[in-house]
Amino acid sequence: MLDESTLEKRGGGQDRQSKQGRKRNAAKPKGRQLDDQALADVRALLADRPRRHNLLIEHLHLIQDEYRGLSAAHIRALAEEMRLSQVEIYEVASFYDHFDVVKEGGPVPPPLTIRVCDSVACMMAGAETVIAELEQGVDPTSIRIARAPCMGACDVAPAARVGDREVGHVTASNIRDMAANDETNVILPEYETLADHRARGGYAQLERLRAGKLTPDGIIDTLSDASLRGMGGAGFPTGKKWSFVRAYEGPRLMTINADEGEPGTFKDRYYMERTPHFMLEGALIAAHCVEAERIYLYMRDEYPAAIEIMRREIAALEEAGIAERGFIEMRRGAGAYICGEESAMIESIEGKRGLPRLRPPFIAEVGVFGRPTLNNNVETLHWVPQILEHGVEWFTGQGSQEHPGLRSYSVSGRVAKPGVVAAPAGSTVRELIELCGGMEEGHAFKAYLPGGASGGILPAAKGDVPLDFGGELAELNAFVGSHAIVVFSSADSMRDVALNLIDFFTHESCGQCTPCRGGTEKLGKLLRSGQRLDEEAIRDLEQVMRDASICGLGQAAPNPVNHLLTYFREDL
Amino acid sequence: MTNTLAFTLDGTTVSAAPDETIWEVAKREGTRIPHLCHLDKPGYRPDGNCRACMVEVEGERVLAASCARKVSEGMVVKTAGERVEKSRAMVFELLAADMKARDEAADGTSSFWQWAESFGIDGRDQRLPGSDPLDADADTDAGHDTTNPAIAVNLDACIACNLCVRACREVQVNDVLGMGERGHHAIPVFDIHDPMGFSTCVTCGECVQACPTGALSEKTMMNADATKVVVEEFDASTDSVCPFCGVGCLTTVHTKDDKIVRVDGRDGPANENRLCVKGRFGFDYAMSPERLTKPLIRREDVPKDGAMDARFMKPSDIFREATWEEALSVAAKGLTDTRDNHDGGAIAGFGSAKGSNEEAYLFQKFIRQGFGTNNVDHCTRLCHASSVAALLEGVGSGAVSAPFTDAMKADCVIVIGARPATNHPVAATYFKQAVKGGMKLVVMDPRGQDLFRHAEHAVQFKPGTDVAMLNAMIHTIIEEGLTDEQYIQANASGYDALVEKVKDFAPEAMAQTCGVPAETLRAVARLYARSERSMIFWGMGISQHTHGTDNSRCLIALALITGHVGRPGTGLHPLRGQNNVQGASDAGLIPMFFPDYRSVESADIRSGMEDFWGRSLDPKKGLTVVETMDAIHAGDVKAMYIMGENPAMSDPDQHHARAALARLDHLVVQDIFLTETCWHADVVLPASAHAEKLGTYSNTNRQVQIGRPALPLPGNARLDWELIVELANRCGLNWTYSDVPDVYEEMRQVMASLDYMPWDRLERETVTYPVKGEGEEGQAVIFGDGFPTEDSRGRIVPADLRAPDEVPDEDYPMVLTTGRVLEHWHTGAMTRRADVLDNIEPEGFAAMNPREIDRLGLAAGDMVEVATRRGTIEALLRADREVADGMIFIPFCFNEAPANVLTNPMLDPYGKIPEFKFCAARVVSAAQREAAE
Repeated sequence: MLDESTLEKRGGGQDRQSKQGRKRNAAKPKGRQLDDQALADVRALLADRPRRHNLLIEHLHLIQDEYRGLSAAHIRALAEEMRLSQVEIYEVASFYDHFDVVKEGGPVPPPLTIRVCDSVACMMAGAETVIAELEQGVDPTSIRIARAPCMGACDVAPAARVGDREVGHVTASNIRDMAANDETNVILPEYETLADHRARGGYAQLERLRAGKLTPDGIIDTLSDASLRGMGGAGFPTGKKWSFVRAYEGPRLMTINADEGEPGTFKDRYYMERTPHFMLEGALIAAHCVEAERIYLYMRDEYPAAIEIMRREIAALEEAGIAERGFIEMRRGAGAYICGEESAMIESIEGKRGLPRLRPPFIAEVGVFGRPTLNNNVETLHWVPQILEHGVEWFTGQGSQEHPGLRSYSVSGRVAKPGVVAAPAGSTVRELIELCGGMEEGHAFKAYLPGGASGGILPAAKGDVPLDFGGELAELNAFVGSHAIVVFSSADSMRDVALNLIDFFTHESCGQCTPCRGGTEKLGKLLRSGQRLDEEAIRDLEQVMRDASICGLGQAAPNPVNHLLTYFREDL
Repeated sequence: MTNTLAFTLDGTTVSAAPDETIWEVAKREGTRIPHLCHLDKPGYRPDGNCRACMVEVEGERVLAASCARKVSEGMVVKTAGERVEKSRAMVFELLAADMKARDEAADGTSSFWQWAESFGIDGRDQRLPGSDPLDADADTDAGHDTTNPAIAVNLDACIACNLCVRACREVQVNDVLGMGERGHHAIPVFDIHDPMGFSTCVTCGECVQACPTGALSEKTMMNADATKVVVEEFDASTDSVCPFCGVGCLTTVHTKDDKIVRVDGRDGPANENRLCVKGRFGFDYAMSPERLTKPLIRREDVPKDGAMDARFMKPSDIFREATWEEALSVAAKGLTDTRDNHDGGAIAGFGSAKGSNEEAYLFQKFIRQGFGTNNVDHCTRLCHASSVAALLEGVGSGAVSAPFTDAMKADCVIVIGARPATNHPVAATYFKQAVKGGMKLVVMDPRGQDLFRHAEHAVQFKPGTDVAMLNAMIHTIIEEGLTDEQYIQANASGYDALVEKVKDFAPEAMAQTCGVPAETLRAVARLYARSERSMIFWGMGISQHTHGTDNSRCLIALALITGHVGRPGTGLHPLRGQNNVQGASDAGLIPMFFPDYRSVESADIRSGMEDFWGRSLDPKKGLTVVETMDAIHAGDVKAMYIMGENPAMSDPDQHHARAALARLDHLVVQDIFLTETCWHADVVLPASAHAEKLGTYSNTNRQVQIGRPALPLPGNARLDWELIVELANRCGLNWTYSDVPDVYEEMRQVMASLDYMPWDRLERETVTYPVKGEGEEGQAVIFGDGFPTEDSRGRIVPADLRAPDEVPDEDYPMVLTTGRVLEHWHTGAMTRRADVLDNIEPEGFAAMNPREIDRLGLAAGDMVEVATRRGTIEALLRADREVADGMIFIPFCFNEAPANVLTNPMLDPYGKIPEFKFCAARVVSAAQREAAE
């Protein structure tokens, strides 16, 4: 589609040589003009949805889903409709992987997009071969093959997504068959619905709280006694967090972080696709305790099945009168790992680029829309009603004195039976390997990621370190984070692993601060620079990234490189 | 400072306010911390992204960005030390790795490279690999974008610090720049990653002024292919004030080899370093080769002709060069002969709102003292004459009651019949910022405009129905009991008559008339009345009507019945159009008043002035601008002296106006260019541009500021004030001014409004008048304790509904309205000779809604003929959705398509302002007409 501005641009190409520029075309005002058809399209899609600016990402999804891309004309029209400027839309659209901006005359993405995960577990399982074969074998005008960061399906690596269909253990040929047979819609796993959940006593704790049989203070004490900690990766004591938020003057809000993106992590998805109501009940309990006026549930866009389950079950809760209509507002991410960082997630909920905020102030004081905000991870909330039901002892007793409580480890890589393992806090990787049926046949344990992409790479010699927050792991400059354990064998090069991880961080850096934006990219380049590694430069980068990055992504991104240089010099 | 706290900075205990940042306190304590993304200027929020300013806070795991980190009690901060230094050095090393080396960089003198130097970084021999080159696709042109006529983008110097984005979005609120993409691909983008010159960018240049690396630079500072800044130092930098609109932005004018190479915004009360495209990039008109440099006398073989088109002629086609002595003698003789052979009333003078206060004062003094006539006026007659008439009648003063920056303190602002983003761009930035801060904006205009997007209510009403709409709002406020009874009791008169008058103006009855739903009218009225502080701004859309005075009366009534005047964040503010229209009017450059709005018809006042000037003076009001043209046709006015004014372009019914000028026995024009008015002159005196002269200027906020010379005069051109003195003395007045301050001090003797504002104070600071006592601050907000009327009350004058003078009919079915464009100012005499401005708006056009264009079977880009009962012009057709159906908009600055050929000269009975905003017109394509013939 060639419109006036494309033509003008082409005509203007010659003028760019001259310093003075050229005379502007006086037949129209400055810049891209509104197109009536595009405006009609956008109005039809948005219908009576509010035009609030914080819904921008939701509205972009509507257009992307309908037209396979965001055309310049639609962006201009959406700007008109939402009373935003074009750039306010473009900067958001161009930040997220799942939006395709289509300039005038530019190619519209083909009808089907197949995303193949190229993160560490899938890489080990042969994702590169799958991608290479697919790129050879499909018609690029009808199918687009895209690389995607971790899809939270490391237990069934290599993973892919064909349209909205999530598939594990993929091969190029089974993907091609699915595409040919139009098997591209979302499929929901068997899960526990609201009715099922209530039948076994679900929502009893919420009812007790609402009936005054439980008190917010009592619940906070219970959670503190149970040593429940934030399972998104930071491990902050949950009870303490709730009491902090409660202490700030209202009105307060709540967010649920379901943007599980740390490579190797799939436990939140596991719970959402099986027993979503523990989390939802936990969220309603939390909201009640901190008197949050609304809950924003931020879902990663990589989980279409979980999104659909949440949509249905929130509607069911509204229908049942358990949650007021609109009290839980689901927001769909759009492909950005950084939005798992809580302040970046909040920016995204506000309809903006997912840039982490500077702290202080912390979100407990200044969060969504500037309000005091309680943010909890899916798994954290998942445990809340269960702890209230079964008691503190039930939870703490499943761990040890030093490491109380139960944790959900996502174990993948070279183990016989990868999956989510609910195990005592402080389990070691060797114990987890056992729980996963031992090493994959023919593989000898060599190394592991104790905490996804960010937690570092430890050698088998450090296989007896308790995997918990702080402690001995911290002394090794590693951390457990979201408890994503990826196990490597002697078949795996730690240089390849470190490069895969640093490439991931380079791709996912938000680009806001210098140390992370430049540091991730330069670490990758330095590591690839051939025979003579400039280790001093690498160490200097590591230092500035740790000391001066705004958020945890940049601060932790050099962890795998540090460990590569420390423990795996033979792999360099 | 109340509520201070103490903390430790590099081992020393210091005290600070709780909202201060570490960086601010360190600066105060004399500690220099590197900074790139932080601009220590008003309006710039620290963002903390570049990480060049990291400091160590005891007990914290990571370093903190000092620019953004607030201090807290007991905090222990180290701004130096190995860890901190290492971190900062690495930040610079990382950034430099992705840039060209300093000696090849876009701007090696930029603050980035100055800081980098302190870390020993020059961009050579780097350990860190550079980033991959940008894709050289059609959009980014590999990061080198010169499509904007004024600004070059060199992204190889960009550090993604987003200062340009904050400049565009938070300071100027133009919302064109953003950060696009992610990670190390993150770059500033225009609109949807469009080339700058094809985007909606308004070229205010705030981003250039903010950029710390030269990635955005003025082309005037650069080499031929705009890749590198080559002007590394200036010969001089002169503090001055902008020559264009009434906002009164302070500037610093940088010169090299007697040329202006750059203009920066300076921290004035009206602009806080901001400028618009005209102020920043419109300076080169002063250096135009078309400048008049020699006195000219009309050739005897070139007869005067009102229909003359000299656009493509050389001065020598009409004039011969003369010496100053000859030119001044001929100029003066023509005036004295007219005075002596007829009487002083056969002479009229038009001064200019572009000149200084001193020039305005001298000019009116010359006409009044020298010829005993009050026939002196200027373009205020075409701008806010009706507003001033209504204000003088209602509140006893024609000036604004509060500065436009008070919008930041208001809860509700109504902007009606004004397009500040176009005509007062820097004032508009404050309105937009105020909206971000929660102020509710109402914009009322028959044409859509940029501010609509920011408005709580964007009211696009039918042209000419202002009184119906405003009375409906007044009706609502009275009917719903939203008036401020106490205020009315104490401060207003005429309320009962208003109540009676607006009874018939229920919103439901007026909705159809003004094309606005009744509920909207009610909502706007309620918002205005109920807000704690509400303020009204208006422009030519209110004033340029035959009912312009009535329009303003309604606005005054709104303020008086709600008590929204006299307090900060409230008031009445007619946005003044030209840089010194306020000052020129104050100085008496109008036919009914001596300086300070003292009536020429008052015997007491007149005798005082006669004593002061030593001559007997005219006891009657003089002729206004449009009346003067009629008087020439009537044979009553025979000679004119016109300084810096261009009535051949600016007056309505241009054929009539130009015929009048051509009819004069004697016309002296003093100007810097051979304007359309000069075509009809007997003598042309080459004068001084703003950048060449000293003088004071009074902006729309009543702020008086000094403009200073930055350039030498070209050729034999002379200073305007000296030329007035030369003529005055040749006409028998014995003037002996030594310099400009001397003139200013004389003005102060007859202008109480300048009390306590001696010249030397203005040398130091901007002063808002009135000032109540020695050394005191000026009164930004007036009328807090009543009005300068006889009974100290504001007078409410109800207004009736009257139709515009000429309404559409079968022959002329459309409504023509005229106005300005962002890049051009007044008649275009200056701005069309400014390259950047003329490149952005290069051609006369007529704008219509694309729907209307379709309906008429026309196409955007066609040449069309627009005709009214006064004449016909050809213009390029522009498709512009802002123009309502049934309307045509034509800017009046293009001499190839002069809108004023078409406009209706019918006047408002009080303000004597013509109805530029409404007449009946028709449009056909030029090709269609030719085919028909």
